Amino acid sequence: MSWYQVKGAEADTVISSRIRLARNINGYTFGKRLSAEDAKEILCQVEKALSEDYTRTDMDALSSVSARALVEQHLISPDFASLKAPRALFRNDKKSIYLMALEEDHIRLQCILPGLSLQDAYRLAAECDETLNEALDIAFDDKLGYLTHCPTNLGTGLRASVMLFLPAMTERRMIPSLQHQLQKIGLTIRGMYGEGSAAHGCIYQISNQITLGLSVEDILRNLEDAVGSIITKERALRKNVTDEAALLREDRCRRAEGVLHFAKCISSEEFFSLYRDVKLGICEGIITSITHETLNTLFISVMPAMLVQNESPAPKTALARDVLRAEFIKKALEVKPRG
Amino acid sequence: MKCENCNERNATFFLEQIINGEKRSHRLCRACAEQLGLFHPGKNAIEDVFSPLLGSHTAMIDEIFGFAGQGVKAKKCEGCGVTWQELSKSGKVGCPRCYATFEAELESSIRGIHGNVTHVGTGPIKKRVSTGPVKKRVCTAREDLLEDLKKLMREAIESENFEEAARLRDKIRAESDKKGG
Repeated sequence: MSWYQVKGAEADTVISSRIRLARNINGYTFGKRLSAEDAKEILCQVEKALSEDYTRTDMDALSSVSARALVEQHLISPDFASLKAPRALFRNDKKSIYLMALEEDHIRLQCILPGLSLQDAYRLAAECDETLNEALDIAFDDKLGYLTHCPTNLGTGLRASVMLFLPAMTERRMIPSLQHQLQKIGLTIRGMYGEGSAAHGCIYQISNQITLGLSVEDILRNLEDAVGSIITKERALRKNVTDEAALLREDRCRRAEGVLHFAKCISSEEFFSLYRDVKLGICEGIITSITHETLNTLFISVMPAMLVQNESPAPKTALARDVLRAEFIKKALEVKPRG
Repeated sequence: MKCENCNERNATFFLEQIINGEKRSHRLCRACAEQLGLFHPGKNAIEDVFSPLLGSHTAMIDEIFGFAGQGVKAKKCEGCGVTWQELSKSGKVGCPRCYATFEAELESSIRGIHGNVTHVGTGPIKKRVSTGPVKKRVCTAREDLLEDLKKLMREAIESENFEEAARLRDKIRAESDKKGG
């Protein structure tokens, strides 16, 4: 099962945890300087290094819709989907490790798990990293650590991030000040799809900015501590509302649930705000017929590319897509999860 | 006060550089500061602190004010052929070897990004020395490469793309010769 189909720890505030390790192979150049032949060699080397549990997908062979669908599932970066050079995605059978070969670095090893589970995600990523380190001539320097294409990833090459759902902090316009505070401790907060993306549905990503000079343990602890404080704050703000505000909130949640069940067309923009209200309704015990994992799966499944990737013929107009989205949601909510 | 660069407009941009404890002050007009990439209208100044292009700014300032050592700009990495000028422009290195080649030049940028320049923690079990002589690792995947090329050629023939098939045939021959030699 994919990360979004399972309920994780602290599901009321944390959507997922992700670990990314940047690794490179000695003797090969980076980016545009890498020849097509060398790129092919790297892909072969990575494929050989990984066990048979991994499936290789050459990105050239994918349609742009399928590539975009992988971005929407947060399995690859937007850049990786749109690059024109040879590159491949390696996925393990358990659907926990996603390795982008020839993104900015030769290897970007990622592990994504539901809820707050940074340590588990790191452990899984480190296992795969060890396999790569044994089989490949990984570029490492005693002083600078793992050598990367961009100096911003030197050292551990580790980018740990947590995807958070923060409706109360957003409503009280606390995100800019949070951003300021996080920056002081070497962390950064961004929208859902990373750098430069908007925070749809009150979803944010918090990750470490500094990769050199701190141990992996310190990076993870620093992030976990900050996330812990944010969770506490968000929960307190959700509780601390007047009776009138609570009533209005309940009304908003129930209306959103109603729209999901009965609307004829839903745009992706509208879905983001419906998601926010329904998710909050589930967290507050107002909505009991929808689970966190159902809603998260829905969230991923109705993104533009995910929605149309298996449709033949693909809907041609925005309105046709919105109708398809509303139908999909209706159907998904009719089937209740077993047990 | 006139801009040091154009010597025409009034200076409104003041810059202080501290290199090896030595302080240097510069006065620039907005247009020159913008042109030199030191000022981005509408961009958060905090981002600039973390910008990997910091090295580029330093290099440009050095270039304009004549502080650059002889030949620094043209210094080349033996691993990939990238020059310091190219590296500082893109903010990214050309190969792992660049870090050893441009160790001194990159130090201030790396410190600017991470606040320090020393890795803490472990590395690969089989520790590699990146400063060693440049020798491309013999690819163990050469056989796979040949297999892939053959597969692509078969596919090209099946889809009647004979031009591509001929190109691949020549490539397979060249690869086989390399292997033989």
